[in-house]
Amino acid sequence: MTAQVIMDGLVTGSMIGLGAIGVTLTYSILRFANFAHGEFISWGAYFALAVVGLLGGLSGALLAPIGPFSFGWALPIGTVAAVLLAGALALVVDALLFGRLRANRSTVIIMVMASFGAALSLRSLLEFIFTSKPVYYTKALQIALPLGGGIRATPDQLLSLAVSAVLVLAVHMLLTRTAIGRSMRAVSENPALAGVVGVEVRKVIRTVWLLGAGLAAIAGVSAGVLVQIRPQMGLDLLLPLFASAILGGIGSVPGAMLAGLIVGLAEAIAVQAIGAEWRAAVAFAILVLVLLVRPQGLFGRAE
Amino acid sequence: MADPSSNVLSVRALVAGYERDLPIVRGVDFSVSSGEFVVILGPNGAGKSTFVKAIAGLVPIHSGSAALGSFDITNVAAHDKIRHGLAFVPQTENIFATLSISDNLQLAADILPRGRRGTRIAEIYSMFPDLAARPSLRAGQLSGGQRQMLAVARALVVDPSVLILDEPSAGLSPKIVSEVFSRLKAINQANVTVVLVEQNVKAALAIADRAVILVEGRVRHEGPAASLADDPVVAELYLGARREGEGARP
Repeated sequence: MTAQVIMDGLVTGSMIGLGAIGVTLTYSILRFANFAHGEFISWGAYFALAVVGLLGGLSGALLAPIGPFSFGWALPIGTVAAVLLAGALALVVDALLFGRLRANRSTVIIMVMASFGAALSLRSLLEFIFTSKPVYYTKALQIALPLGGGIRATPDQLLSLAVSAVLVLAVHMLLTRTAIGRSMRAVSENPALAGVVGVEVRKVIRTVWLLGAGLAAIAGVSAGVLVQIRPQMGLDLLLPLFASAILGGIGSVPGAMLAGLIVGLAEAIAVQAIGAEWRAAVAFAILVLVLLVRPQGLFGRAE
Repeated sequence: MADPSSNVLSVRALVAGYERDLPIVRGVDFSVSSGEFVVILGPNGAGKSTFVKAIAGLVPIHSGSAALGSFDITNVAAHDKIRHGLAFVPQTENIFATLSISDNLQLAADILPRGRRGTRIAEIYSMFPDLAARPSLRAGQLSGGQRQMLAVARALVVDPSVLILDEPSAGLSPKIVSEVFSRLKAINQANVTVVLVEQNVKAALAIADRAVILVEGRVRHEGPAASLADDPVVAELYLGARREGEGARP
C-alpha cells in the first residue's frame, strides 16, 4: 500500500462528505431517508455541463483553462447555476411529491418508497435528455504534482478538497451561528414545538432542500471534473452517502464530512489491497458495522 | 363577567380534535380579560389540553372561532400566533433539549426586531437568574423544574399578551410546583394574561382569578376561583376532591 492511497481516499471522501451533508440534514429535519439524494448529484453535474456547453458556444475564451486547472471560467459559472438549478429541482420534487405526502401525514416508509420512485424518475429523465454515454467538462490532461511523502495530486483534486473544506465550515457556521441554523436544529428536534416558538417550519424545509441539493450539485461537479459525468454517478455514490451520514451521526455536518473522508479512505485502501470490485462492499460493511456497534454514529446522541 | 370589549382572548363555539368525525372539544365558549389569571380544570379526558392546543394551532379547529383581541386567529398557523402575542407552553417536550439555554431563548427572540433581541434576553435573564448563570448549558441537562422555568422564560421572550400553559406542574415535586406557581402569579401581576390548564386543583385555584371547568369537551361550570374552591358540590362532581383541604388530583 502506498501513501498515494491517502490522497485518493481524501479526494473521493470529500465528494462523499458533501453529498452526505445533504442526506444527514434531510434525514434529521424531514425525518426520512431520501434515496433520491444521489440524483441531485447527477443532475447538478449535468446542469453545470449544460451551462458550460452554452457558455462555451457563446465564447470559446470561457473554456480556456484557468491557471493550473483543467477547466475555464465557464465551469465555476456553471457550478453556481447548477447549485441554483439543483435547489430548484429539489423544491419542485418536494412540491410535487414529498410535500403532498407530508400534508397527508404519510408514514416514513411511504416517504422512503416515494424517494425510490423519485430517484428512478429523475435518473430516467436524465438518461432520456443526455443519454447514458459518459461525458466530460474538459478533455484537458493534468499532470499530478508531487506533494512530498510519495503523494501526488492534480490541481483539480486539491481545489476539490479545498472547496469541500470551506463548504463544510460554512455549513457548520450556518447551523451553529445563525438564526436559520438555530431554527433548523429546533425543527430537527421537535417540529411542533418549533412552530409554537415562532419558527416557520416550511421555510426551514425549503432551506434544507436548497442546501442539500446545492451541496450535492457541487459534489456532482467535483465528481464530473475528477472522474466523468454519467446518469448513474449519483446512484453509485448513494451507499457511501448513507454510510457516511450514519457513521457521522444523523444531523451532524462535521460528522458527515469526517465520515465521508473515512469511507473514501476505506474504499481507496480496499481498492489497492483487495481489488476494485470490492469498493462498493466497503461502504456497505461500514454501514452494517456502525448500525451494529454504534447506531448513533460518531457525533450523534443515543436516543 | 368582564366587559366583552376588554377580552384579550375570545373563543366561540369551538369544536376541535385530531379527527374531524371525533371532536374532543365540542362547542366551547371561553373568554379571558386583559390581565386575568384563568385556570381550566376538569377530569382526565375532559379535553383541557386539546382545547388549549387548538387555540395554539397544534390541533385542528373544525368549527367555531378564536380571536386575540379583535384579530381572528382561528386559521392562523402556530408560528404566526406567537407574532400576534399568543405564547403557549406545552405540557411535555416544551424545551429544545439538544440546544443550549441561550439558544432556546435566542430562538424565541429571533422573531423580535433585531435591535430588541439582546435587550429582551437580558431582561429575561434578570427575571430568571438561574438560567443566566449557565447560558451555554444544554437544556436537556436541566432538572424538571428548571426545564419548566426555561419553557416559561422562552414563552415570555416575545412579551406575549396571553400566556397559555398546559399543566406546568406535571411530574414536579410539591416544592417545585409551589415555586413555578409563585412565578406564574408574579408574571400575571406584571400584566401578562395567564391561562393555565391544571390537574393540581387546590394549588391552581389558590393563584387564579377565575376557573373554568371542562367536562367531556364542554364548559360545565365557571366562576371566581375563590368561590369554586369552597364549593363542595363542584369539587366532588368535577374536580375529584374528597375532603376539604385535600390537594385533589382527579
